[in-house]
Amino acid sequence: MQQNKPLHNQIPKRNQLYRKVLIKLTLETSKMYHIEEMRTRLTLNEQSLSNVHTTDFPGSYSGYNDAWDSRKFISNFRVKIISIDDKEMQFDMIGIDASIANAFRRILIAEVPTMAIEKVFLYNNTSVIQDEVLAHRLGLIPLDVDARLFEFRQTDDLEGTAEDTLDLELNIKCTKNPSAPKDATDPNVMYKHHKVFSGDIVWIPKGNQSDVSCVKPVHDDILIAKLRPGHEIDVKMQAVKGLGRDHAKFSPVATASYRLLPEIKLLSKITGDDVKELQSCFSPGVIGIKQNDQCEEEAYVVSARMDTCSREVFRHPNLKDKVKLSKVKDHFIYSVESAVGLAPNVLVSESIKILMTKCRSFLRELDNAQDKEMDTQ
Amino acid sequence: MNAPPAFESFLLFEGEKKITITKDTKVPNAAHFTVNKEDHTLGNLLRSQLLKDPKVIFAGYKIPHPLEHKFILRVQTTGDYSPQEAFTNAITDLISEISLLEERFKVAVREKQQGIE
Repeated sequence: MQQNKPLHNQIPKRNQLYRKVLIKLTLETSKMYHIEEMRTRLTLNEQSLSNVHTTDFPGSYSGYNDAWDSRKFISNFRVKIISIDDKEMQFDMIGIDASIANAFRRILIAEVPTMAIEKVFLYNNTSVIQDEVLAHRLGLIPLDVDARLFEFRQTDDLEGTAEDTLDLELNIKCTKNPSAPKDATDPNVMYKHHKVFSGDIVWIPKGNQSDVSCVKPVHDDILIAKLRPGHEIDVKMQAVKGLGRDHAKFSPVATASYRLLPEIKLLSKITGDDVKELQSCFSPGVIGIKQNDQCEEEAYVVSARMDTCSREVFRHPNLKDKVKLSKVKDHFIYSVESAVGLAPNVLVSESIKILMTKCRSFLRELDNAQDKEMDTQ
Repeated sequence: MNAPPAFESFLLFEGEKKITITKDTKVPNAAHFTVNKEDHTLGNLLRSQLLKDPKVIFAGYKIPHPLEHKFILRVQTTGDYSPQEAFTNAITDLISEISLLEERFKVAVREKQQGIE
């Protein structure tokens, strides 16, 4: 028995121990890496997505402390503004939970108040557009006014006051152009006022409104109706403060969306003809080409941020095993486009404030509910 | 026509309470919080914040019917801790989180705008 022992068992004991420790260590680190990957990255596979859920809750992983820690949040959380102007902005929020990210998106779309035309009084409408269609079109026109200066109108109030209502008027009549040449066929030459634009809407200040703000539609060139000689539109309108939850016309944003930061990893060197092929699989500017030490062309990732995550690369059999596509789970890229007169950063600040007041009032209501429960017991 | 008035989604009916707490009759240390006139915005936010608490065994929410503007959140906690406490702590944490967010956002916007000028 003793003589038949295989050779590798005869190597000194100490070396064996080293090897065992080494294997255990590499196993451990790969396991840690795997868990870290599961926690922080959403993986894009050829046909599916994996690790899509938030799992960093206490009890999900042994060896991790996922309990809420405000110090950890303070050190991890970052905001980066990518671009900003008075209509559009893009910014990154890093280190927040998806539920908070989504809350802001939802609030921006449906709960930041704006002013929009709510009541239309038709005195005359002889155009081809039906009364109700006209009223609907008027309602959708975004108004350039700061809704923070106004109050919500009571539901039983029909008149409205200077604090909660804007009065607007549209009075337009189409006539023949007397100075038009006889053989003219262009309606722009033949008729006067044959196109009704949002710029034709006139604001009638109520009370002391003219001191605080100046109201007009955001765009002057929205076509409301087309008229012919003899057609007339005479309407009075009331704009009130409202929420996007009530009607989409009150929504202050054209788009408010977020996406996760994409990440592209090249698992092995990609050189030669594959380089161009790889480049064509991604959005422009994502994959770059450099000269490597062997003087051949090699692909590298310039910026995964611009990628649309099309997963085209998985349709190329020679490339599919060389690339790993994923998304960073707590890196949110927001884009907000304002539809009203307010700048997008003001809208985001407003949405933060709204969420804050929601939480505050919730805390108060909770105390009330608890007190009541005590009373009944 | 027969559409319910739009304000129903955010105005409480007369005599309606914002939050009602009912204790679970079958399980100890569990409660249902029925919150009126709120939706996924707050429901999901509270649920995920509650799950971050190690003493919370279960937290989940549902919107029982799409035409009823309310959500029900069920919370179960360990023995030394009540669902109400968990709830209060979760909201307090959220408030501190949001105020930090507000502050950092303002600073970031200011820095960006000053960089342009």
